[in-house]
Amino acid sequence: MLIALALIILALLGAPLFAIIAASAMWGFTQAEIDLSVLGIEIYRVAEMPVLLAIPLFTFAGYLLGESNAPKRLVQLTDALLGWMPGGLAIVSLTACAFFTAFTGASGITIIALGALLYPALKQAGYPDNFNLGLVTTSGSLGLLFAPSLPLILYGVIAQQLNLPRQISIDELFIAGIMPGLLMLLLLSAYSLWVGRESAKPISAFSWHNLAKALRDTAWELPMPFIILGGIYGGYFAVSEAAAVTALYVLIVEVFIYEEIKLKELPKIMRDSMVLVGAILIILGVSLASTNYLIDADVPTQIFDTIKEYVSSKLTFLILLNIFLLVIGTMLDVFSALVIITPLLLPVAMAYGIDPVHLGIIFLANMQIGYFTPPVGMNLFIASYRFNKPVMQIYMATLPFFFILLAAVLIITYWPALSLTLLGQ
Amino acid sequence: MFMLAAMIVLAATQIILRNVFQSGMPELEPLLRILVLWIGMLGAVVAAREDRHISIDVFSRSLSPRNKCMVRVVLDLFVTLIAGLIAYHTARFVAFEYEAATMAFARVPSWMAQSILPFAFGVIALRYLHFTFCNIIALMNKGYDRKC
Repeated sequence: MLIALALIILALLGAPLFAIIAASAMWGFTQAEIDLSVLGIEIYRVAEMPVLLAIPLFTFAGYLLGESNAPKRLVQLTDALLGWMPGGLAIVSLTACAFFTAFTGASGITIIALGALLYPALKQAGYPDNFNLGLVTTSGSLGLLFAPSLPLILYGVIAQQLNLPRQISIDELFIAGIMPGLLMLLLLSAYSLWVGRESAKPISAFSWHNLAKALRDTAWELPMPFIILGGIYGGYFAVSEAAAVTALYVLIVEVFIYEEIKLKELPKIMRDSMVLVGAILIILGVSLASTNYLIDADVPTQIFDTIKEYVSSKLTFLILLNIFLLVIGTMLDVFSALVIITPLLLPVAMAYGIDPVHLGIIFLANMQIGYFTPPVGMNLFIASYRFNKPVMQIYMATLPFFFILLAAVLIITYWPALSLTLLGQ
Repeated sequence: MFMLAAMIVLAATQIILRNVFQSGMPELEPLLRILVLWIGMLGAVVAAREDRHISIDVFSRSLSPRNKCMVRVVLDLFVTLIAGLIAYHTARFVAFEYEAATMAFARVPSWMAQSILPFAFGVIALRYLHFTFCNIIALMNKGYDRKC
């Protein structure tokens, strides 16, 4: 107990999470009198999951896209498609951000790469300043539920390690995320239209000429989502193969066809992206050890028994789950939250009759809000830094967006069919 | 070395591509999986060097530079200890595997593939030991703002 408390304090003070998780695993194994060389076996299991190949490859592809002019072209294209609508620009921004985040993982890259383009454009189109700040900050984590986002993949990987009575596949998660993701996009778009109903003018008249130009500019990037999503959803290739195709394709297009990234910049981009991969995989590695210990020691069952005494209905459990995840989401980034919480939460939630795929979607939807929940959501600080505004102003600016997405999260949580109908369940 | 590994993966993806069209080599799949581990661990080493490991930075933000520095000494010592322990125990694991002489794939023995674990955790431990000393020196010189 004392050890657990000490570890929690160290974690809150800012100790790297991999060390905290490793320490708790080692403590557990020592208590159970298991030789600690088992750590080697556990961490080495990272090399035994073929799907993990997707993580370095998608991350690299995402970093490449972020460094190229792809964000700019993406905005141009969505502008040509949607810019004629009153309030179209806000919808352009939301769509472009969701799309970009799905491909790059929500690590704040969206705010930095796309926010810089969209924020001044929104201002010019006549939207109020706070609305623009809020929109750009919120959009930084929009798209988490769309394939091929890394958090979805990671949730699937962890769930597959747990020997659940019902095995879930990553493809199922990709399909389940579509409707809830669209719901969020839809609600935010409706709000933007309402805010811009008087002030915002259409940024451009619809012109076939502009659309043709935008299409021509993105001719090489445009097929990518179709190849990846079509390939995965259509069952032509596995997630890791899709990642390999994406990485290679993006590399060829951005470096050799558009020539926006010079060969000599590549090592730096590779290195930067692999730092993120390393930070995720080391946590995953040590948490494989702690998870195994937790399951051996039957901890999820004990947690379930304890909660069951106080919480009898599935509904109450879901309410508590939402609150719990929102709080977690403000403190932990989505990757560490997934590896730490999922192994404990999933068996408990399944005991309450919650579908594991649905739980994954609930989890990520909550985490998405956590990114910009005051006072400590990470994207608030990234936006404050990027747009040089006081954090207090960003808090106020994101508040309406927070409540809208909270409503979306509640709908997603209490209406499982939204996530599961496309799966035919 | 690190970048090389990243490039090898990309080279390997090309071969995957070829696999899609023709039958491929069975050795490639385990090789790729082990490369993921190697890239991950080497990435973790670089993340340690740049002090970019994932952590909760909610409360450290509100500390004064001096207190932050003192907290860092404790945290860095803790990480040194834990990473050192992992390095030691994974090294024992690698030694067992060496004696057992199991094969990871083709003619590559498992212990070779696994040797990245003690290596990476060892380097991470040394890195945090360095941070520890660096922060102690900063405390003594009252130079809290200096980056270690």
